[in-house]
Amino acid sequence: MIHTVSQGIITGILMGAIYALIALGLSIVFGIMNVTNFAHGDFVMLSMYLSYAVGSALAWDAVATPLITAPLLFIFGFITYYLLIDRTLRQMYVVQLAVTVGLQILLRSLALIVWQAQPRALQYSIIQGNIQIAGFEILTSRLISAIISLIFIAGLAYFLNKTWAGRAMRAASDDLDAASLMGVNYHKTYALTFAIGSSITALAGGLLMSFQQTDPVGGVRFGLLSWAVLALAGLGSLPGLIVAGIIVGVVESLTVSFFDPRSRLLGVYAIFILVLWLRPRGLFGRR
Amino acid sequence: MNFKKYFNQQNTFILIGLVIALVIPQAFKSSQYVMLLITTVLLYAILASAWNIIGGMAGQLDLAAAAYLGLGAFTTGTLLIQWNITPWVGMFLGGLIAMGLAILIGFPLFGFKVKELWYAISSSALVVVLQSLFMMWNEVGGPTEKYLPSGSSPWYSLRFNTYVPYYYIMVTILVVVILINRWIRYSKLGYSLLALGEDEDAVEVLGVNSQLSKLKALAIYAFICGVVGGLYACIYGYVHPAFFDTSMSMEITILGIVGGMGFIYGPAMAAIVMVSFREFLRASLGSQLAGLYLAVYAIILIVVALFQPRGIAPLFERGLKKIQTYFAELKRGHKADA
Repeated sequence: MIHTVSQGIITGILMGAIYALIALGLSIVFGIMNVTNFAHGDFVMLSMYLSYAVGSALAWDAVATPLITAPLLFIFGFITYYLLIDRTLRQMYVVQLAVTVGLQILLRSLALIVWQAQPRALQYSIIQGNIQIAGFEILTSRLISAIISLIFIAGLAYFLNKTWAGRAMRAASDDLDAASLMGVNYHKTYALTFAIGSSITALAGGLLMSFQQTDPVGGVRFGLLSWAVLALAGLGSLPGLIVAGIIVGVVESLTVSFFDPRSRLLGVYAIFILVLWLRPRGLFGRR
Repeated sequence: MNFKKYFNQQNTFILIGLVIALVIPQAFKSSQYVMLLITTVLLYAILASAWNIIGGMAGQLDLAAAAYLGLGAFTTGTLLIQWNITPWVGMFLGGLIAMGLAILIGFPLFGFKVKELWYAISSSALVVVLQSLFMMWNEVGGPTEKYLPSGSSPWYSLRFNTYVPYYYIMVTILVVVILINRWIRYSKLGYSLLALGEDEDAVEVLGVNSQLSKLKALAIYAFICGVVGGLYACIYGYVHPAFFDTSMSMEITILGIVGGMGFIYGPAMAAIVMVSFREFLRASLGSQLAGLYLAVYAIILIVVALFQPRGIAPLFERGLKKIQTYFAELKRGHKADA
């Protein structure tokens, strides 16, 4: 019993680090630009498919595919920003909703056109297999993915705090008018933010593909998971994001091991609703 | 009775629409496929009009239409399969159950003044959650389809060989839903909802209970979706957890927005135009590449949302005004001639 719980918690923590990474992409877009991207989960789905395409075409390992998919997603995010998001900034909130939900349907149907409906998975990964630590089974792929996620989140925190572009982003999120007066071109800053947010999903997609398969409707799950992490973490705290990701991962993993694999989202949904009721600004949010 | 009072332009349009609606089955009776398509279009028109109450008027971006639809479908289907209870009762109960769940979720969310974004996301999550719940609940749902029996009398079990009766029921519901829309729009509830969209705090100060108003709108919307869900199950002849379809909910919301938030006829018009177009695309492109029609459709929805942010209803209104002034000028011209 205790063993099962601990095993579930360990699996959950490792998955949680990746969820935090996925939510990070959403968090900077939502936190800095105040843009609600309903298609975020489908960006992850698209990344996973691209990772599959690159991995199977070049016979690369899934973990290495972000080297190609991240620049692709960066460009994709850049184009999406100027083509769609930039035009919605000065309009009613519902227009943003309609456009990003439309984008969601578009990405889903594109995946269906290119890769058909059946799930796709990459053959093998160099980081496959598992390690035994004190009687617990740990999948190597998840362990390495979790470590890469954490390193990347730390790297982004450094970028946001220490570089000019990162500071411009945070300034734009604090006070857009003041930032504009200080010489921040908000169109460029927002485009960069959105592109970085998209390319983060490429990294997450590559990591996920090392142990998971993907299908055209898989985006819904990642969308819900990342919104749940964001609601739990609140805005503006990267360590909080990691903790929230781990909480969500552990809850999901425990629901799977104690109830039913099909009920994996139920527990996450329950926390999500509870947080919205009890603490709308999240556990670590500053506003 | 003063009949002249009712003889205005709006009612004339409704009358013309009704006459067309009555004639349609006579024209397409031979093709069941076309009748099913038209019935589907009407289904979307009803759902989009119902969404207008919570989305367009109350300003809550609900993404759970398929959740309430599915609940209605499963209630109706289960009652008919297990206890042979007529869908007429099932539809009503399904509506009530959908309404109950909506209130259960809406009460705390509206009460704590959760931002509209979080309401939208929690409602879209509701669809996924209900789908996985019904996947696990084998007595009612489960991974295989549960077929509705065709009882002795088609009117008792609502199972017909043709889509024509469903079509008439759908038209009736659509008219009722539009009348409800109209009634709400010009009632105290409608005015409070519209004012809520402008400035919630100011409205609260004026003594409007904003939570209650939103809950009422949500309850009416969920009830309509539940009732239509019962009919949906009868049309397709089975129930399946795939009825909790996130894409469908999103589409309803987009149709409501594209139609024109708060315009009574907008969402129904958008649904009729866009869903017919989608089915046309599916028929002409669907055979070549699965998903291509949806891609084209999504691009068109995005373009309309970007370049016509207030929806297509204002466009129609402007067109109508032009025709009116044209006729008015024509009349004046005749008088001048005489």
